[in-house]
Amino acid sequence: MMSSESISPELIQHYPWLPSLKKVYEDIGNQDPLKFTMSVLSKQKNNLKERILNLFEATFNNIEFIENYKIDETNIYLYLMLRILLFILNNDILTNRIANLYSKIQYDELLGENDFNLYKILQDLNLDIKYYQIPIKYRVNKIKDQTEVLRTNFRIHYIDYLKLSSNLRDEYRKLVNNPLSEGYVFILKKRLVRLLQEYVRGKFLELKEKDKQNLEVLRSKLLEIEEFEQIYNIIKNQWELIKEEYDYSIEFKFKEGADISTIFPPCVKNILSQAKEGQNLTHNERLFLTFFLHALEYPVEKIVDIFSTLPDFDRDKTTYQVEFAKKKGYDPHSCETLKSLSLCKAEKYKDELCLKGYYSKKLDETRKIKHPLFYVSFNQFKLSKDKNDQS
Amino acid sequence: MINHKFLKRLFQAYYRENKDRIPLISSFTQREFGFIPWKEETMMIRHIGFNDIDGLKTYFINNAPRHAYSSGSLYLMPENSDMDQKQYIGCDLIVDIDVDHFYTPCKEDHDIWICKDCDTIGKGMKKKCDKCGSLKLKTINWICEECLEIAKNEIKKLMYDFLIPDFAIQPDEMHIAFSGHRGYHLKVENKRIRTLDSDQRREIVDYLTGHNISFEILGLEKKALNIYGLIRENLDWSEKIINKIVNMLQTYSDKQLNNFLKRIGLNSNVIKSFLNSKDNFLYTLKVDDHNLWSIEGFDVITWKKFLNGVVDKVGVELDEPVTIDIHRLIRYPGTLHGKTGFKVQELLIDELEAFDPLNETRDDLDPIIFKSAENTHKIKIIEKEVPQTKIKGETYGPYEKGEIVEVPNHIAIFLLCKEVAVLE
Repeated sequence: MMSSESISPELIQHYPWLPSLKKVYEDIGNQDPLKFTMSVLSKQKNNLKERILNLFEATFNNIEFIENYKIDETNIYLYLMLRILLFILNNDILTNRIANLYSKIQYDELLGENDFNLYKILQDLNLDIKYYQIPIKYRVNKIKDQTEVLRTNFRIHYIDYLKLSSNLRDEYRKLVNNPLSEGYVFILKKRLVRLLQEYVRGKFLELKEKDKQNLEVLRSKLLEIEEFEQIYNIIKNQWELIKEEYDYSIEFKFKEGADISTIFPPCVKNILSQAKEGQNLTHNERLFLTFFLHALEYPVEKIVDIFSTLPDFDRDKTTYQVEFAKKKGYDPHSCETLKSLSLCKAEKYKDELCLKGYYSKKLDETRKIKHPLFYVSFNQFKLSKDKNDQS
Repeated sequence: MINHKFLKRLFQAYYRENKDRIPLISSFTQREFGFIPWKEETMMIRHIGFNDIDGLKTYFINNAPRHAYSSGSLYLMPENSDMDQKQYIGCDLIVDIDVDHFYTPCKEDHDIWICKDCDTIGKGMKKKCDKCGSLKLKTINWICEECLEIAKNEIKKLMYDFLIPDFAIQPDEMHIAFSGHRGYHLKVENKRIRTLDSDQRREIVDYLTGHNISFEILGLEKKALNIYGLIRENLDWSEKIINKIVNMLQTYSDKQLNNFLKRIGLNSNVIKSFLNSKDNFLYTLKVDDHNLWSIEGFDVITWKKFLNGVVDKVGVELDEPVTIDIHRLIRYPGTLHGKTGFKVQELLIDELEAFDPLNETRDDLDPIIFKSAENTHKIKIIEKEVPQTKIKGETYGPYEKGEIVEVPNHIAIFLLCKEVAVLE
């Protein structure tokens, strides 16, 4: 077991979302937002402004990393200013996107941390963790004559595990699919760091829930600070230019070049809308969307771009997986399978075609939609028929 | 209504005479209380708070409710009817094991259903009428030693296979009670558990029941023509599943295995193949290092059916919504159950094993508080069929509509509470 010691200022600079910020940097951590903004922007004007705008620009351009990401005291100001700006901007899409980008950066940083520092970080978050200097065995995989032994240095208390993983909906993260003994879940470092990423993301997402009563008051006061107003306006103007792209509609074209986004079934719309908002998608949702878009012959890079907004996005891995799925030529799930996976959203969207079916002239009866691809082709047929009727 | 007046008077007398035996539960003033009075329509009176246990006792004596509940949750203002204004603090983990919710073989003997559309009467746990397929069934659910023993075993399984070894719940954090009817409650009082929301509780429910388990994640995999299975030494559900399979292979007769495999939907050829290979399979699970699950006719889908059947045996049969819902009320210990007249009996863990609700020998644990062989009542049966009742070693019934019988006090109260008879 490791001993508990107080956390260093360097670690706080690295990870300013740690609770010890308020202790180690007492003067910064406990200031009210207005005073903090005034003092920090007067001291750190150019350097900080550049970093803030860099981060927003990367977000607007859907870039998954920040070049020359620096670890210094300004990094603390950056984190706090981002929180203030996002609260004032009051824009859920921007908050999600920044939360995803920032937490991804932190994920990479945390993954590179040594166990000692990682343990201190976990302790600072008041997480109940057991650390073993000699990794402990918790699982064996045996296929043919090959045996793979899985060991880990970490175990996390199931309550902390449940709290950190509650927004992650993948099957493999479910408690029932994990080794749990004596109140602790055995967890690989990488998965533990992914949970921390989720914690960091949550630090931004919680801003959406915060009391917005004083929002206008604080905004008008903050905008009286010239430097803040400049940054705020640059972001607002950039957002105005690109916000159309973020409005809910699917911009991809079918192979002939016709926009078919409006005729997608609710199950697809729902996943796309979650991706747009930067929410986590389950493994099944990712698979289904990939198979569906492949079936409509969307280019690989376009499909990868859809996933780029996800908190755990990794371009190389996703490209490989999307290409692999294309090579294999898997069919998208049928409506029946989608229902069994709770991915059918006909009720949620009150979609008449899904719920009531369509009238078949040939069979003289009402038929149910059985496959999401049929939903698209039926709507496409209907659209072209309407067009012909009009002309 | 005659029943109600009579029963209310009896309940009132019980509360008056036993007021000092009504226990004080933890965080009493932060709990919400709810009561169902003796009325034709069952309407719960909720959002009641008490400053002390004397207030509750007085309420019991004055009102003698048919059913009495308190919340698993703690609130700063438990008496506020607006959930948002109640100021939720946290919720204990409640597990309700009630044989109403799962199959027991004895139901074929004592649970009766009557079709409201075609009047057909049948036995067992049915959802629709055997004759006309109607879903409108009236059910008369009974109790017997066997189903209450099964419920008790589920509570033991919950504690000893899950809560203690996996969740490290301490014995003094667990509070068990016989519900007074068809099962048991277990309440875990732990500060950290109180902070869990409903979604997080659902994860615990899935862990306890084995629902949403992924056999692929646990290791079931097809490679080329071979299928590789789960490994006993893995510290996840694999260990529980393999232990159960080994136990079944070692202790079940071929007939029992056949019944199990039939129930999970395997065809006779596959069942035959399994029974022929069972020794080899046992060797694979216990000794062989190759982890090759090879039984003729078993593909991945068949193995999944088989494993799901085993998971159903390993998992706990609990009433899921009760554990997930953070605003549920559960029966208050020491109160009387309006459907039986039995007491909701708190039990220490050590007392559970020997506890026999229908034939308890320890007076302080006996839920049948109206027992009396000398004091009898004449009652008239008003239900078409009333199953046999065995309480305190004596058997009564079965009865048919119109019969007038003289039975001991506790049997009369039981049948009146069950609303299958009226005082003559």
